[in-house]
Amino acid sequence: MMATLEVKDLHVAVTDEETKGQKEILTGVNLVMKTGEIHAIMGPNGTGKSTLSQTIMGQPGYQVTQGDILLDGQSILAMPVDERARRGLFLAMQYPAEIQGVTNAEFLRAAINARRPADDQISVMAFLKKLDANLALLDMSESMTERYLNEGFSGGEKKRNEILQLLMIEPTFAILDEIDSGLDIDALKVVAKGVNSMRGANFGSLIITHYQRLLNYIVPDTVHVMMGGKIVKTGGPELAKQLEKEGYAGLRDELGLDIQLVDEQH
Amino acid sequence: MDLTTAKQQLATASATHHEPSALTKRRLAALAAFKTLALPKMPKLKFQTWPFFERQPNLTWTGAAAFDLAPALEEQVRLTQVGQVTLDAHVPAALKDQGVLLMDLFTALQTVPDLVLKFLMTVVKADENKLTAHHLAYLNAGAFLYVPRGVKVTAPVEINVTQDSTQPHQPLIHHLLIVAEANSQVDVIQHLTTQGDAANPASLMVEIVAQANSRVTFSSLDELGAQTVTYFKRRAQIGRDAKVEWAVGMMNAGNTVGEMDSELIGEGGEGDSKLIAITTADQQVGINNRVTHHGQHTTGLINQRGVLLGQSRLVFNGIGEIIHGAHGAKAEQQNRVLMMSPATRGDANPILLIDENDVEAGHAASVGPVNPVQLNYLLSRGIPKPVAQRLVIRGFLAAVLTAIPTQRVREELIAILERKLTDGQA
Repeated sequence: MMATLEVKDLHVAVTDEETKGQKEILTGVNLVMKTGEIHAIMGPNGTGKSTLSQTIMGQPGYQVTQGDILLDGQSILAMPVDERARRGLFLAMQYPAEIQGVTNAEFLRAAINARRPADDQISVMAFLKKLDANLALLDMSESMTERYLNEGFSGGEKKRNEILQLLMIEPTFAILDEIDSGLDIDALKVVAKGVNSMRGANFGSLIITHYQRLLNYIVPDTVHVMMGGKIVKTGGPELAKQLEKEGYAGLRDELGLDIQLVDEQH
Repeated sequence: MDLTTAKQQLATASATHHEPSALTKRRLAALAAFKTLALPKMPKLKFQTWPFFERQPNLTWTGAAAFDLAPALEEQVRLTQVGQVTLDAHVPAALKDQGVLLMDLFTALQTVPDLVLKFLMTVVKADENKLTAHHLAYLNAGAFLYVPRGVKVTAPVEINVTQDSTQPHQPLIHHLLIVAEANSQVDVIQHLTTQGDAANPASLMVEIVAQANSRVTFSSLDELGAQTVTYFKRRAQIGRDAKVEWAVGMMNAGNTVGEMDSELIGEGGEGDSKLIAITTADQQVGINNRVTHHGQHTTGLINQRGVLLGQSRLVFNGIGEIIHGAHGAKAEQQNRVLMMSPATRGDANPILLIDENDVEAGHAASVGPVNPVQLNYLLSRGIPKPVAQRLVIRGFLAAVLTAIPTQRVREELIAILERKLTDGQA
């Protein structure tokens, strides 16, 4: 069954730690995605890409001041993060937490079972079979599952582990927030292989990235460019290639936007 | 009751119980000390008004309440006590032949009085404080475990003690004496529970004599009832190259003051003291966990983890003391408490008392709420908050849990833990 994730005129503010004042990061984001589609959001640093992903997931610290987020037409703004996850949202983190004393396998089972009714929990056999298949797909050693959750994992191992969770939990919509940062080309290919294996009519993904490189391996259906807290241009995969060539400043000038880029020299 | 009347009462009760006169004498001396001594010291916890003993203490002997007990298997080493009565004491024939003794303390005082009196209240002295004196004066239950020289007991020794609180005015004053002679080895698993809801105090003492090169592990699951005010004192005297490992799950529901001591007497001895405590509702608990280094090249480890629920109060004092002359001693300790609600109050105090130069000593302590980053990560994968909290707590306790030597104790402890956490969250 087709599902829809809709972001409507979304304004989001965060509290500035120093001044305690509100700072608006998102200034009216509009976005509609359906299962079966892969969307990419590109944009310069400091433009609100991570704020958008964190807000969709419901992470603490982001205040929606205007607009809405709808999953299959129903607002999810009032739902806590765990409920959003059980409704089918998934956010692959840039910096996943480490938890000593809880094994990866135990955590994965708890996450899978959280989405299943109490009288239909996944059997040990079914879980292990699925785990083995996904470990193989991601070139991960079996020993990873008995290690404590992310504890002592390298940056690359943590990213792979995020993708392993994605494959095990099978969410409806996955947001991948800069999953490519800090990955070498081999790890990047493995991550892309994992995401591509999820492609299909029951899965949609929003890929947030700073660089076009990842999109060579996970080819999106739609590319959005974000600047100044909103989406300023939407196109096909060719838009990513154009950005790689011309840079964000070029696109800004082409669109006649009055936006200061964080990394720009002045 | 004046002292003379109290002494008469005590002497008569001791005599009707056919105790050796040496014990009666010691009881009477302890009674005199009880009248004058002060309570033990516990930094950061006010417990001076707790009802640790009856207003008019007296020594009485009562029978057991009804109790269901499955018969012991031949290979089991097991002692079961309800209140003051020992229901069974089973030692496999092979161990009996080697001279292993496991019996009711008062039976032991009649059958092997010299052996018991040689060690009883020598590791802990009756005149250390008001509660130790009270303990010996009014001692009314107990067990004796003796492992002769060179004997290795491979099956765990199970000691199950049920406090009988079906009636008021039945304090449980229980003493477990463990003697491990040179080169011997034994694992003890103690389980403490309460039957009934009457408010009765408990005074529980464990003395371990670990002679040269012996190995003793002592695990305890403490699950005394909410109406029980508990004082426990557990001390090991650790000889040359001997090793004692403590693993305590302090799951009592009532107010508790506890003292754990490892006295490293001989050279090269090792004491490893691990303790987990969960406190709930308006419970108050204080633990002094002390390792004292007398001998050279001794090693002492303290690792304590506490989880506070409801409006409870928990104090961990870790005390590492290195006596002058204990060259090459190593003292490490960690005390950490996790406060699950803002209404709880936790303390973790490392105290190092070092009177020697060429030693190693270190400590770590933390007091705080559940790590929000960890909790949020689990939530973001759809794991409901109560389950996520329990996982984070399990992770917090892992360093101590995984080090518990016996798998069965570990599993039982996790089961009790899950139940406490589930109840505490409800």
